[in-house]
Amino acid sequence: MSTAGVKRDIKVVIIGDACVGKTTFIKRYIEGQFTENTETLGACFYLKQWGPHNIAIWDTAGEERFSGLNSFYCRDAAAAIVAYDITNPESFQRLHERYIPLLDAARDEFLLVVTGMKLDLDQKSKLRVPSEEGEDFSVRLNHDRLKDKERFAKPFFETSSKTGQGVDEVFEYIFQTLLTHGKPLSPQKSIVDLEGAPPQREKPTCC
Amino acid sequence: MIAACAKKKAVQVYVVTEEKNNIHQRSCNTRVTDDLVDGFCMCVAMETQYILVNYETGDVRDLYPISSPERKPFVSRIGKEFLLPGPGIGVFVTPAAISERPPVKWAEDVNGVGFLYPYVVAMDTEFLTIHSILDQKQKQAIPFQNGCIIGDYEGKLFVASNKDVYGLIPLPVEKQVQALLTDRQVDEALSLAMNFRQAGLSKEKFQKMYTNIQQQGGFIKFGEHKLDEAKELFIRGRLDVRELICLFPDLLPSSSYFSRAVPLLHDYADVNQIVHGDAERLRECKEFLVGFLEEVRDLDASTGYRMEVDTALLKLYAASDPKKLNNFLTIENRCSLAESLEALGSQGCYHAQGILYKLHRDHEKAMNIWMRIQDQELVDSSFPGLDFIVEFLAKLSDHELVWRYVEWCLQKDPELTVKIFTERPEDEPPTERMRPDTIIDYLHAYPTAVIRYLEHLVFQKKLEKETYHTHLAVLYLSEVLKLRENPSTKAETLNLARSKLRHMLQFSNLYRVQVILSKVKETDMYAECAVLYGKLEEHDRALRILVHKLQDYGAAENYCDINSKGRDLTYRKRLFQILLGVYLDPMEGKKDSLLAPAISLLNSQTADFDTVRVLQLIPDSWSVGLVRQFLRHSVETNMHLARTRKIQNSLSRNENLQVKYHMMRQRREPVYLNEERLCQVCNQTFNEPKFVRYPNGVITHTHCARNKTICPITGKLFSIGKEAS
Repeated sequence: MSTAGVKRDIKVVIIGDACVGKTTFIKRYIEGQFTENTETLGACFYLKQWGPHNIAIWDTAGEERFSGLNSFYCRDAAAAIVAYDITNPESFQRLHERYIPLLDAARDEFLLVVTGMKLDLDQKSKLRVPSEEGEDFSVRLNHDRLKDKERFAKPFFETSSKTGQGVDEVFEYIFQTLLTHGKPLSPQKSIVDLEGAPPQREKPTCC
Repeated sequence: MIAACAKKKAVQVYVVTEEKNNIHQRSCNTRVTDDLVDGFCMCVAMETQYILVNYETGDVRDLYPISSPERKPFVSRIGKEFLLPGPGIGVFVTPAAISERPPVKWAEDVNGVGFLYPYVVAMDTEFLTIHSILDQKQKQAIPFQNGCIIGDYEGKLFVASNKDVYGLIPLPVEKQVQALLTDRQVDEALSLAMNFRQAGLSKEKFQKMYTNIQQQGGFIKFGEHKLDEAKELFIRGRLDVRELICLFPDLLPSSSYFSRAVPLLHDYADVNQIVHGDAERLRECKEFLVGFLEEVRDLDASTGYRMEVDTALLKLYAASDPKKLNNFLTIENRCSLAESLEALGSQGCYHAQGILYKLHRDHEKAMNIWMRIQDQELVDSSFPGLDFIVEFLAKLSDHELVWRYVEWCLQKDPELTVKIFTERPEDEPPTERMRPDTIIDYLHAYPTAVIRYLEHLVFQKKLEKETYHTHLAVLYLSEVLKLRENPSTKAETLNLARSKLRHMLQFSNLYRVQVILSKVKETDMYAECAVLYGKLEEHDRALRILVHKLQDYGAAENYCDINSKGRDLTYRKRLFQILLGVYLDPMEGKKDSLLAPAISLLNSQTADFDTVRVLQLIPDSWSVGLVRQFLRHSVETNMHLARTRKIQNSLSRNENLQVKYHMMRQRREPVYLNEERLCQVCNQTFNEPKFVRYPNGVITHTHCARNKTICPITGKLFSIGKEAS
């Protein structure tokens, strides 16, 4: 993939703990299919055309040994997808502890989209990160951005790369928010899900 | 000129100018291990992290921490970027302290990097690994033990182990590309070649190489049956289309001087080697070729090979698509004649052969073929039929040739054949062979054809020549007579023929009436007779026929109306008078039976009469009641006329009065005569009181006024009457 000479309008990064499914998530979006991926080394890069805009999507490595580099790769990003594994509360905890501080290097007015991964597994798993917690977390992270715009949809999503549920919505939400200067657009309605049934929000069973 | 060096805990930057050396120094609290300068930007490897220093602004940006301190950090330059080692990867950093490329993956123990666009050579203890910075993928690995120094110096790469120094020389681009093409990696070969453009090949050389790669790539894709990609490569690579055509056996005309490019662009002998006898794939390949040739036909790429392209297309169409073939032949093309004919013949496209002959202006051969198809010696369902031949002959300017086929056509369909003569191009110069008389003579044996042709001359071309009109009338007449003789003729057919005859007789004034009349008189075709008498202005006879023989009173009235068109009212009145006379004429037997038409004529809105003469004609025995309506109408009309006249009269009088008034006013002015008043004719003074004054005020001597009705100055003519009053 040649990257030189392409003008990029915005840069979007995805961060999160190892093995939450960041690369799979991005490939699901770019290629439209579910893939099995191994450890990302350092970082990976994808270009996406969205209307007239070029979007650079950077996939970062979740392993701890690359965390020094992640802050470097997140530099100048306009938005970050903050990813955790819905079935792994530890990965949600680590976001706050380890990954959010990495983003200091990104721009101001930074959009953080909290995104839960592996929604398709949440039925089987005993542990589940409650949706409310993720939602609260997203509101806290985007405090500046959200405070005067009540009508904004909250930057929180639960997705499944396996079924594709919610994946496009995350990116649409980011692009709509950043590139159309915040015209209110409900992310849930921007794309019609033809396959899966509407997501069933279960009451939290733990915590 | 800038130099930088790292002291133990400081970076010193020297700006070397002619006058003096400036030294900037930055102290650091850790040891500096490596540094590199690019422009005003310097990438520094410290003990614990990498930083980027802009020494003009003094701005320092942290890049990332060094995770494994046991490895020696280093900094290398890749074009305008820096390449730094990370954990198992190489990280690209731009002077803006961000990364624009994903990292390259290499071993954990890389200890040096060399760069030769677009390749990064990384040295570890076992191998030299080579990555492309374009796709960050590993391209090659060379075993190399105990390497300790690697570096690129003025575009050359050197590596050193403990004992030896080696130069690393890249394969020429052509070879790299060729190797990729051999591996059928077309896209990669193209992108590699494209990137070498930036590496400083001359434009022409690069272009030549690149198109060659595109062509070869196209054939590889073609071989893989990726036809769309192949087409794009062929077009973009401006492939000599003959290279592709010659893959298909028998498509390239033998007259073409083509031989395949050397070195060969591909190693296929022909298309069968690609499709392996798969008929469906072969069909797809041919379809592809058709599409490709159609597209290429109008591009520059086919300049000079139009003959080959067109011939190949023709052959392909002939084999697959007769409709497209015929369309193709109607537009200008440069097919090789002999080859095309053969190909068309073998596919049974005889009609197309004819068209091809026509395109090559060999009309005789074209006609021969079409005649054979028409005569069903040859079978070609795409042939449109005799109409086509007639249309062709109608447009053919070689009149000698036209005449050779007229007889043949006439035998097929005389009426259609006439179109050869009637539908000739407007702008065709007249020739002796196409004179109407010649044509009529020739068509003589085919009455229907002659009639058609004469109709064309008389009604369409409106030729006003007596012989044509008479001839046509006679032909119409004999047609009618023939139909009448045949007892099985249907009434409609006869009526149609007769109405055509009548129309002709009525429409034209040029035919010889006597000739026709003498023939018509012998029959009981009274309506035609009446028309003819009308032409001779023998209205009494005509009307008598209409009234007594045909008893068609409406037609009689109509006759009067038609024949008075363009004449004055008196003539019209006379005609109606004659008709009334015929109605009332006691000579013709049953007098009373014509009373009704007479009355209805009198009361008709269209008829015009001289009332006084009508009254003289009307028998005394008629009651007033019968003619009441007529009388009333006449009185009304005449009253109306009289009143209108009176009004006109009064208006004229009034006008006259006004004119007089103006004249009086003009004359009331006195005329002064003195010494200064001169005669306007001779310019002399008046020496006696007599003078002449013209109505327009011109004053002259009496002897100078030669004519009292013409003004001597303006030449205006005055009416005598007015002068008198």
